[in-house]
Amino acid sequence: MTGPAPRPGQRRTGADAMLRVDQAGEYGAIRIYAGQLAVLGDRHPMSREIARMAAQEERHRKHFDAMMAQRGVRPTMLQPFWHVAGFALGAATALLGPQAAMACTAAIETEIDDHYGRQLDDLGGQDPELSGAIADFRAEEVEHRETAIAHGAESAPAYPLLSGLIRLGCRAAITLSQRL
Amino acid sequence: MIAPPRPETGMSEDETLDSLRLRLAPLVAANAAFDGWSKDAVAMAADDAGVDRDVAALAFDGGAMAMIDAWFASVDVAMLTRFPPDALATMKIRERITALVEARLAILAPHREALRRAQAILAMPRYASRAAQLGWRAADIIWRAAGDAAVDYNHYTKRATLGAVYAATQFVFVNDESEDHAETRAFLARRIEGIMNFEKAKARFTGNSDQHFSIPRFLGRLRYRAANR
Repeated sequence: MTGPAPRPGQRRTGADAMLRVDQAGEYGAIRIYAGQLAVLGDRHPMSREIARMAAQEERHRKHFDAMMAQRGVRPTMLQPFWHVAGFALGAATALLGPQAAMACTAAIETEIDDHYGRQLDDLGGQDPELSGAIADFRAEEVEHRETAIAHGAESAPAYPLLSGLIRLGCRAAITLSQRL
Repeated sequence: MIAPPRPETGMSEDETLDSLRLRLAPLVAANAAFDGWSKDAVAMAADDAGVDRDVAALAFDGGAMAMIDAWFASVDVAMLTRFPPDALATMKIRERITALVEARLAILAPHREALRRAQAILAMPRYASRAAQLGWRAADIIWRAAGDAAVDYNHYTKRATLGAVYAATQFVFVNDESEDHAETRAFLARRIEGIMNFEKAKARFTGNSDQHFSIPRFLGRLRYRAANR
């Protein structure tokens, strides 16, 4: 345990920003999967796997939604933008091909894994409720990345370029959602 | 129990300047009706509360804006005291909003002249951003008290709409000479009715998006034709 426990009513601005960016991230992930599923339809062999991952992200987001409402944390102002951008990214990668869709998932989940890891380090023992949720969800995000790689993410066309671009965009999104 | 006030300052042992500000703010408002939002009003309020004038002046160091800010914060506290969560639990959302706004107006009612003077200050261009912040803060606290749990852009549109309604209502309120402020309450009811109609229209417009033409779905059918057959 590091640092004193927060007093009731004390602003946990650090944890507030984390919750905000995490909720935005889960929301964005759901929109990416929604974009992929819109293109792939529900009869493609990979749709089942994507729908399963989307359902898990939905559970994560619901949990963060509830925590935000309970703590009175404002959502990110960029939510309408992530709504469109996430869907567009999912649809675009799915149009490139099923492997590209999986490459997108692998790239995003790699960033999310790093991001959650950094948050857990920053939190230490300050906010057990939040870090418990993050640790729980992080395990599933890692599992998504492995699923994506198992489904041929790395054989996508121009994989290093695609993956690099998506990871860059993902980092930019994280930075923006923390501030706004 | 609160410790007895110390004679030299009139503040109790563990009182901070923040809590002193909240305690004095309604008294400052009562005096602002005559003296304006000025140092004189703070000095009079200090005398009324038995607090040292210099300490009170320090608490309201930021001038008229600090006084108005603290006054509105004290209204927030008083509103939440009148309507604790379980008092609102049985009401519909629109009834909660109406009840909370009317509670604020009832708390402001004895100080309408001070409110009028505050509005004149808040309307000055140099205070435009502070005025917007105060309006946002009031709308935010009302929505939270009403149990709002929106975690998307609605969080912002709800506060913007209510902030505008509340500000407009206050302008009607300061000039309302009708019995029991009936005119203001009718104005507020009409504004909330208008918002509800807009929300219903919006829900009709944005609902059942599955029925609309979707470009990604169309492109997907072209791209994965074989897989879907």
